[in-house]
Amino acid sequence: MPDVDVLVVGAGPAGAVAAWHAKQAAPGLDVVVLERDRAIGAPVRCAEGVGDAGLREFANPDGADWVSRRITDVIFQAPDDTEVVLANCGLGWILDRTRFDAFLAAQAAAEGATVLVGAEATAMARNGDQRWHVRVKERGRDDVYRARVVIGADGVETMVGRWAGLDTRVPARDMESCAQYVLQGIDFNPDAIYLQFSNAIAPGGYAWIFPKGVGVANVGLGVVALKSDGRNARQYLDDWVTRRFPGGTRTGYTVGGVIVHTTIKKTYADGVLVAGDAAHMINPLSGGGITNAMKAGRLAGKTAAAAICAGDTSERRLAAYHHAWMELLGDDHLKYYRIKQALEGVDDASFNKLARSVNNIAPGKRTIGRVFTHALIRHPQLIPVAARFFV
Amino acid sequence: MRRVTPDTIAVVDLAVCDRCGLCLPLCPPEAIHLELNVLTVDRAGCTGCEKCVGPCPVGALAMVAYA
Repeated sequence: MPDVDVLVVGAGPAGAVAAWHAKQAAPGLDVVVLERDRAIGAPVRCAEGVGDAGLREFANPDGADWVSRRITDVIFQAPDDTEVVLANCGLGWILDRTRFDAFLAAQAAAEGATVLVGAEATAMARNGDQRWHVRVKERGRDDVYRARVVIGADGVETMVGRWAGLDTRVPARDMESCAQYVLQGIDFNPDAIYLQFSNAIAPGGYAWIFPKGVGVANVGLGVVALKSDGRNARQYLDDWVTRRFPGGTRTGYTVGGVIVHTTIKKTYADGVLVAGDAAHMINPLSGGGITNAMKAGRLAGKTAAAAICAGDTSERRLAAYHHAWMELLGDDHLKYYRIKQALEGVDDASFNKLARSVNNIAPGKRTIGRVFTHALIRHPQLIPVAARFFV
Repeated sequence: MRRVTPDTIAVVDLAVCDRCGLCLPLCPPEAIHLELNVLTVDRAGCTGCEKCVGPCPVGALAMVAYA
């Protein structure tokens, strides 16, 4: 029965960064990361886009082999395909998640954490010894790990939270069902990400093109099933891709859920912290979760290390993690969630009108703020959207 | 408390399921499990609410008669 200080379940961005920072904060601790899949970073269930500033808090993308593409432009597309181009509106990156996740895990290992692949946590229970007893299946063998703190970084399934008695369930209206192809041989601007909003193409979500290179991109969409006409995400994607890129070659596909909710009410329990997608720490407006997960992982790793060093891993002490997260980003997500709700009331015709009138602003003067102000003047029906942003 | 037996319950088609895990947090009684790459719906736990069926991105879940 291995005895460890910190057991991290899941070696995605949240888990790897949690292990890395726990070990960095307290090098004497035994930190183990479990990855269920046979390879870290695979299968990819992600559109792989990330903003520059958040990424740089953890890793330098310049020349890194885990970067697929540098992005400078954003192109919004209205339901009728009218394009609103925001050139040089900020720097972003499309990652190669298979390599990026492995890079983060290697960072954790370099700090002295133990990374295990093909190791799946299947249950855990609190015994009388102030430790969690976590059942782990590895290569057909059953083991029980004893851990002072378990960090649940196990993604959308979020079993650690469930085992710890936290409510990690998601209302159906806040689950984006996503499907994505890697398409080769298609024509688009490889310096731009494309986001198309349309109830006919992707009800309750949006469709995206995220370049991985010239002529190759992650092409996908997310839908809220409650707004669907009966098609599932893969069928919506097939219909869109067939129309939009009839000549494209599909060289990969993935599906998955993106939780566009707000942070779970309680991200901690005695000896447990939950981070990343598992704690619903996704920007509910954009659906972006990579940097959120890394920031939460860093907080979780540091909090766990400090708690163990102080000899107190009670939920009262670990609550500091929750408060720090809410102050850092969780409270912002509440605002983004309200905007998301307000945008749900905007129909396709209004989006088309908005795109055309925004295009009357000279491209050089097209900032997010100007677009927003313009939208309010020309389309007063959007004022409630703006108002809800501030309440 | 005895559970009311539902008329229909969810079943998964493992030939279609992609093991993405999206349906797990949608299940109010937490009756869906993913372990060792196999998704299962707990027959005794499913209340027949259908909340997992529509959101499955590949249509791997369906309702069938309980009996």
